[in-house]
Amino acid sequence: MTPMDRRRFFKITAITGTTAALASCGNPENQIVRFIPDEELTPGVAVWKPSVCPLCAAGCGVTARVMDGDAEVFRSGQPGVTRMGLVRKLEGDPEHPLSKGRLCVRGQAAVQVTYHPDRLVAPQRRSGDRGSGQFTEITWDEALSVLVERLDATAAAPAQLAVLSRPRRGRRHELVAEFLRRFGAPAPVSFEIFDDAVLRRANDLSFGRHQLPTFDLARTSYLLNFGADLLGTWNSPLAHSVAYGAMRQGRGGSRPKFVQVEPRMSQTGASADEWLAVRPGTEGALALGLAHVVMKAGLRPADGGGRAGAQIEGWSGGLPAFTPEAVEKETGVSAERIERLAREFASYGPAVAVIGGAPLAQTNGLAQALAVNALNALVGSVGVEGGVSFMPQGPVPAAPARTLREALAAAPPQVLLLDDANPVFAAPAAWKVRDWLRQVPFIASFGSFIDETSALADLILPDHSFLESWVESAPESGAATAVATVAGPAMRPLYDTRSMPDVLLDAGRRLKTPLAPALPWQTFEEMLQAPAAEPAPVAAAPARSTAAAAPTAWRAPELDGSAGEYPFQFMPYPSQALFDGSLAHLPWLQELPDPLTTAMWSSWVELNVRTAETLGIADGDVVEVASAHGSLRAPVVISPGIGPDAAAMPVGQGHETFTRYASGRGANPLAILAPVAEPSTGQLAWAATRVKITRISGADGSLILFAGATRERPDHTRGRG
Amino acid sequence: MAHRWGMVVDLDKCTGCEACVTACHAENNIPTAGATEAGRGRAMHWLRVERYWEGDFPDVKVKFKPVMCQHCDNAPCEAVCPTYASHQTDEGLNAQVYNRCIGTRYCANACSYNVRFFNFFNPQWEKPLQLQLNPDVSVREVGVMEKCTFCVQRIKSGKSAAKADGRELKDGDIQPACVQSCPAGAIIFGDLNDHESRAARLTHSPRGTKLLEDEGTEPKVTYLQRQSWNEPDTQ
Repeated sequence: MTPMDRRRFFKITAITGTTAALASCGNPENQIVRFIPDEELTPGVAVWKPSVCPLCAAGCGVTARVMDGDAEVFRSGQPGVTRMGLVRKLEGDPEHPLSKGRLCVRGQAAVQVTYHPDRLVAPQRRSGDRGSGQFTEITWDEALSVLVERLDATAAAPAQLAVLSRPRRGRRHELVAEFLRRFGAPAPVSFEIFDDAVLRRANDLSFGRHQLPTFDLARTSYLLNFGADLLGTWNSPLAHSVAYGAMRQGRGGSRPKFVQVEPRMSQTGASADEWLAVRPGTEGALALGLAHVVMKAGLRPADGGGRAGAQIEGWSGGLPAFTPEAVEKETGVSAERIERLAREFASYGPAVAVIGGAPLAQTNGLAQALAVNALNALVGSVGVEGGVSFMPQGPVPAAPARTLREALAAAPPQVLLLDDANPVFAAPAAWKVRDWLRQVPFIASFGSFIDETSALADLILPDHSFLESWVESAPESGAATAVATVAGPAMRPLYDTRSMPDVLLDAGRRLKTPLAPALPWQTFEEMLQAPAAEPAPVAAAPARSTAAAAPTAWRAPELDGSAGEYPFQFMPYPSQALFDGSLAHLPWLQELPDPLTTAMWSSWVELNVRTAETLGIADGDVVEVASAHGSLRAPVVISPGIGPDAAAMPVGQGHETFTRYASGRGANPLAILAPVAEPSTGQLAWAATRVKITRISGADGSLILFAGATRERPDHTRGRG
Repeated sequence: MAHRWGMVVDLDKCTGCEACVTACHAENNIPTAGATEAGRGRAMHWLRVERYWEGDFPDVKVKFKPVMCQHCDNAPCEAVCPTYASHQTDEGLNAQVYNRCIGTRYCANACSYNVRFFNFFNPQWEKPLQLQLNPDVSVREVGVMEKCTFCVQRIKSGKSAAKADGRELKDGDIQPACVQSCPAGAIIFGDLNDHESRAARLTHSPRGTKLLEDEGTEPKVTYLQRQSWNEPDTQ
């Protein structure tokens, strides 16, 4: 007799239930199938289960509060109701080295991924035209046979199989890479608009570590930050914020200084003791100006810069071209202030300089990062308490992923598997990702939602939500010690979904030409429980040395579009709520007031007061923002935190297709970006586009602010407080 | 001695990240209004982060201030409520009894801090978003005023857990959702009658101020002002 496992048991129960329901006919309540729970739960008593937040690359550990409840589920092709353990809230994991019991705004909302009303409940096959978003539900047997048939058809030309995902580290990605390698296909393609490839490359050159840095903010005395939104969205924002709290109060002694250098006041900049506006793309020149003063005043010798200094042209001679006066011309920061900041930075150690985000998304991004690295090395802040260090890492997969740009330059593959990437939304329209995808004969997506990219898929094999699966993270930064987190499912799956790694393993077993050699695991769980390699010891010497490169010369950023025709520098930035747009489907985050404008459910363009006056634009007026590559319309928020020759816009809105909460809302600034790259990495220089601004009309009600809105307003003033 | 719950917000630590705002929504079953209703001023945030701009570009500063119910000792909302729905508990909480509330909205008009929110509709959670609801907190209906409770459900369960273990309640046993989630640890909650509690000690910090103190509302939330470089640490 076949042993009665859970799935088989459900199948039988479900069929019996339906037969009974059909006999009673008509009344929909009678058709509800009740699955019998298999968990031991005490009603009303919460249990806590560990998990890992999947919403960004930081990899914070969370705990899920699980209580019993009735859930409408969809299993084995049948809808029904079951009493089961349900995750009610997420909290930070007190034991986790990154989250330390805390959780960021986006992590708090992650539970809505699982309970989203537009989540796919079963595999889907495209039934309408490509991109129409019309799909029909199918069974897993059908779905898997379609997938395997396509993979078999590609076995003769295995290079025609491609996977497109996000650049994340961990065993899930290792599994995907292994699958591709054994199939004979090239390395996975990875794409994330706000990826830090430029900084990794710079750290490799300066310090021999191809990795994001970790900052000891809790023990630093002087934090000099060039444009990184480190308390909001950048690198490991939760770990940074926890450490920042410790830096500010409660450690005794005198209070450290935090200086922020950026062209537009960010949420992070708001916490700074001193805020410096700088011309976009000249942050690195300021860093070199500071280094010049430090060396000239004899506070530190040039050879203190070591390997990082040697990467900078003119360093050993004391950077003669970077006198405070010359740097003032380039950056807009006064010579006097440069002198003072340099002396402060060299005198109040341990000091740490940080660079990230927009300054690196320029054509001179690498030179900018190298300059800040050298400044850290000069004052002896590398690998010390209160300085910058690198988290020990496990073995990093040997074959680095291919960039989307490289893939787009080549002919489209025959079979493309999509995992958690949405480049149709997040890449500039000028990259023509949609046209490229349309030429791929077969696309399968593992996504839980239909977004702009998966709308082009032929087959959708929905993954479990993170709370329903084995999850892990291998963070690249955020703590001084190595961190690896693995957790089992916090609740049973609600729907007919399957874990993506398991589907891949299953497909691998069904192939006509087997993988050579076969993957050694039956399930992802088995892979996670197999002993992981010991993390590599912290390397005092370079861990992964790049061939000695010639020193890099500083150069000014190149912007797309002439200053005459396009007078404003366009500065898209990751939204505190919606990040890169991948979280725009979560209603809590849509209704979260933006920290600096209090806008909810909206897109907006930030303009300087004087600029708005000159153009005859009032707060809330709708403008057209046009680059040489496209245009968009959005309401204006007049801001004191941005310079007169710039326009800033949060990324996240402007989805065509992404669930009921995000579709057709606002505008997408990424779509109008110029396809300009940082040359050493090919990473999109998303801060290097110029735009022009034209007033279109008065307020149209699309800008929804929370400030001043805590009183009911009549309809005719909708959206304005 | 009875407890007297109070809160301290250290503005020197607050980064304006709004983790507290989402944590509050998740813990207290606060409805999402949706774009249309939010545009009419009906969005509900028991806890909001206010921002104040100072100066002009480029010499500009921003200050954040998380604002929740101040649980005033002398609360203007209580005096105007015709049904005693809004009242002061023995432990100093400014409580709202939902099934006494008849929706006059006098309290929201009287409140100096704009922290009371009216249910213009029966709240809706599009299925299956109702599964995220906290079973420990009741869902409010149309016509009822709601507001920050200092997570009274956590206060109660903290007290019963201590009682079940046969021990005294310790400082830090009870953490409202905003306090628990705050990444920078900027929000501190505790018993102001326990002079050893962190919250009670920080209430007397030289950096401490109350919101709109001159209105005589006697709030139980203290804001610790931001400091400047090289000032001595006061926590």
